[in-house]
Amino acid sequence: MSRLIDKKLSRRRFLGTSTCALATATVGSQARVLKALAESGEVTTSKVAGSKDVFTACGMCVNKCGVIARVRDGRIHKLDPNPDYIKSRGMLCARGNAGVKVVYDPDRLKYPLIRAGKRGEGKWRRASWDEALDLVAKKMNAIAEKYTRAGVMFASTEGTFQEHFFLQMAECFGSPNTVRHPTLCLSSNIQGFSATYGTFPTPDVLNSDYIIMAGANRSEALITPDSIDQLKGDGGRRKLVYIDPRFTKTAAKADEWLPIKPGTDMAFVLAMIHVIVAEGLYAKDFVETLTVGFDKLVPHIKPYTPEWAEKECEIPARDIRRIAREFAKAAPKAVFYPGRRSSFADDDVQLRRAMAILNAVIGNWDTEGGLVPNSKIKLQKHDYLAPWYDDVPERIDKGSAVFLSEKDGSWTAMRDRILAGKPYPVKGMMIYKQNVVMSVPNRAKTLKMMDQMDFICTIDITMSDTAWYSDVVLPEATYLERQDPLESLSGILPVVAFRQPCIEAMFESKPNLWIMQNLAKRLGSEIAETFDFTMDDLIHHQVSKNPKILKDLKSNGVHYMKVLPTYGLTRGKRLRTKTGKIEIYSANYAKKGLDPLPVYTKHAEVPAGKFRLLVGRNAYFTHWTTANNAYLHELMPENTLWLNTTSAKKLGLIDGQKVKVKSPVGEGTLKLEVTDKIRPDCVYMAHGFGVLSKGQSLIYGVGACDAALIEEKLEPISGNVAMHQTFVEVSPA
Amino acid sequence: MKKKRYAIVLDTRRCIDCKACTVACKAENDVPLGDDKFRNWVSEEPLRGRYPNLGQSFAPSQCNQCENPPCNSVCPTSATGITAGGIVTVNPDKCIGCKYCMLACPYDARYFNEETGVIDKCTFCIQRIAVGRIPACVETCPTKVRTFGDLNDPNSEVSLLLAKNRYRVLKPELGTKPFLFYLI
Repeated sequence: MSRLIDKKLSRRRFLGTSTCALATATVGSQARVLKALAESGEVTTSKVAGSKDVFTACGMCVNKCGVIARVRDGRIHKLDPNPDYIKSRGMLCARGNAGVKVVYDPDRLKYPLIRAGKRGEGKWRRASWDEALDLVAKKMNAIAEKYTRAGVMFASTEGTFQEHFFLQMAECFGSPNTVRHPTLCLSSNIQGFSATYGTFPTPDVLNSDYIIMAGANRSEALITPDSIDQLKGDGGRRKLVYIDPRFTKTAAKADEWLPIKPGTDMAFVLAMIHVIVAEGLYAKDFVETLTVGFDKLVPHIKPYTPEWAEKECEIPARDIRRIAREFAKAAPKAVFYPGRRSSFADDDVQLRRAMAILNAVIGNWDTEGGLVPNSKIKLQKHDYLAPWYDDVPERIDKGSAVFLSEKDGSWTAMRDRILAGKPYPVKGMMIYKQNVVMSVPNRAKTLKMMDQMDFICTIDITMSDTAWYSDVVLPEATYLERQDPLESLSGILPVVAFRQPCIEAMFESKPNLWIMQNLAKRLGSEIAETFDFTMDDLIHHQVSKNPKILKDLKSNGVHYMKVLPTYGLTRGKRLRTKTGKIEIYSANYAKKGLDPLPVYTKHAEVPAGKFRLLVGRNAYFTHWTTANNAYLHELMPENTLWLNTTSAKKLGLIDGQKVKVKSPVGEGTLKLEVTDKIRPDCVYMAHGFGVLSKGQSLIYGVGACDAALIEEKLEPISGNVAMHQTFVEVSPA
Repeated sequence: MKKKRYAIVLDTRRCIDCKACTVACKAENDVPLGDDKFRNWVSEEPLRGRYPNLGQSFAPSQCNQCENPPCNSVCPTSATGITAGGIVTVNPDKCIGCKYCMLACPYDARYFNEETGVIDKCTFCIQRIAVGRIPACVETCPTKVRTFGDLNDPNSEVSLLLAKNRYRVLKPELGTKPFLFYLI
């Protein structure tokens, strides 16, 4: 059969294999429509009678696009994009469309489960909500009594719109130990740009004439509206320069692809600044009036010549020089794209600082086609009075990074301290939809940390690897079955997203608010009181100062204030930095003993006979959550190890053979993909495979898990993890 | 009113191979699971060049809704027909699943639906057109590769696109007269 993933083969050639018509009782509705068509010569609209269309918000990834769910006979048939949803330009990607298979997934968690065998053995018994929640409350209280309330950690996903209730639970229960995803992702990026601009701005991709994306694979790691706006398709002035050790689908769309040596991006950026400063191409008035520290940048940048950079990053000096000139010429409608996930190397904050400074010297701040500070639509917050407990210590990872987020923590630093039991024991884990086993680098260490827990409870919609290693598993309703609080999404064109239930929650799954409320009741009246509201109450409170928001949401599924960007709102005003200006030189960093201007440091070279393992995304999957989705699974049923053609030849390895990948912390076996689309010194595999949970039935036993291989390194300023500093051996399996 | 003639114009330069069209189509048209069951697809064209000088294109496609469809003439039961708007359809009551049409189609646009026991293919989402909506693949596409419309209307977006741009059709030498137009 010709397959979706390999359409080069013709379906017709294989007719012999399945000639027998296996008509089943289930008749596809398309056949019914065509039957009607054949009878009347025209399609009748009666097929849609009794159906309803529901405005809601996608929950398949971070973008939260606007959706219209087409519900037929109580079943969600199709998810269509909401054309009015300006943030995503009225589109819905493969994952968004595959949302129906999240709801009707045979692997869904259906009932509360209590572990019946050893941890990770996969033996469960079905429990009632009462029994499961009684047990959770009992265990939480026991740990709090034996250790302190900080002895229970709370790991949360983000962007479900109901994580706020989980964090509220953590706060009201009295644990400082919450941990979220930023230190596995973009905390270094936010830190680097915020230290410069006082905020993390959004690049105005739509209106930019010259974009440089470094390791930001926007054709596959979809971010709205950037992924849409990166293409003009009209042969216009737009130029896209793409820097990545892999030839991704963004590379295929770019005007230029530069396969940079990983870990050396800062050399490229500093050399660009060098050229722009040395040749006087910078925005002189802008730099003088809106920035501080340019005078210190000039001597600092002097040694960073393109010729020096070429030796580091393996991009020819003449190309660096040319790109720097082109970039400055296109200014201010030019942007060095900040990117999103920035867990690259252990000096990533300084790389992002360098990128921020490069943008600053060409004066693209808060202007069309440049870096624009986000706007946000205000919603009223749910206030509650958290109970006060004496004798609760500070965060266990306190002091592990210079700028540690109080709510997000630093994942790997926290894990190390829990494993060491210092400064105090953490013996309970409450987890809301974060798949820590798959997501935190060095899986063996995460499992070891879980081993030493007295109790683990996971709330999820599917049996993730983390749920698999838990003691109690609670089934949440999926995003298509819930009424969620309104969510204000910031951006150049901010929106309020609206998620309402398209169908009733199936099985015994419950929204997280219900779960938290019923757990709170068992933990005592003080905690329960903070949850004493309905979802309706909350939503009306959110819009109490602007009822039009809810009116718009009900009639259009989205609320926005403007459809065209407004630029320059910060001009003449103080920025949220110490000096109120763009800080090229950071006195704050100097005070904390950090480099006030980014200084290039060399990273370890790839040892002979080894390869650098790269992490990356594709457009079909959101982290670990979608590889087991029936529609998406058939687009990529397994992951492969990308290895450059020349390197494979040297090792005597051939395309399609099984190989073993071994790192200092783990190993995995998967199929080899020999390709020219990667540097000869790197290998890459897609995330989401090599699962431990048999509850992921389509992918169990398939492929390898990158988290099992990555040796975690800590970026000490932001607490972010560095994911591209692991070297692996590849051998025949 | 003048008779309609539906067409899709594709600007493949915009295609990022995200496969939103494929999944949207599967859901909209109840195409069964299975990676050999699909009404539309995106092919990765072979990589051009050698590392580090590379290029690659992506080729989305589906039924060409030919004016002269080879699948029509070979059908022994007249299950295949051309409906208003030029859309080639399969009548599930008449189809016996013999697959001659699959062999005849030069674009490999048809598949056998084991759930219904009949041949299935792209209909430009005829059920959506009937209620004034556009095909699912056209609507959902993040980068708007496809434009759908009536070529008999000189002011339609598809007519204007073809008037303004150079384009090609697939396998014109076969005389099938396809109505998928690829901008060059």
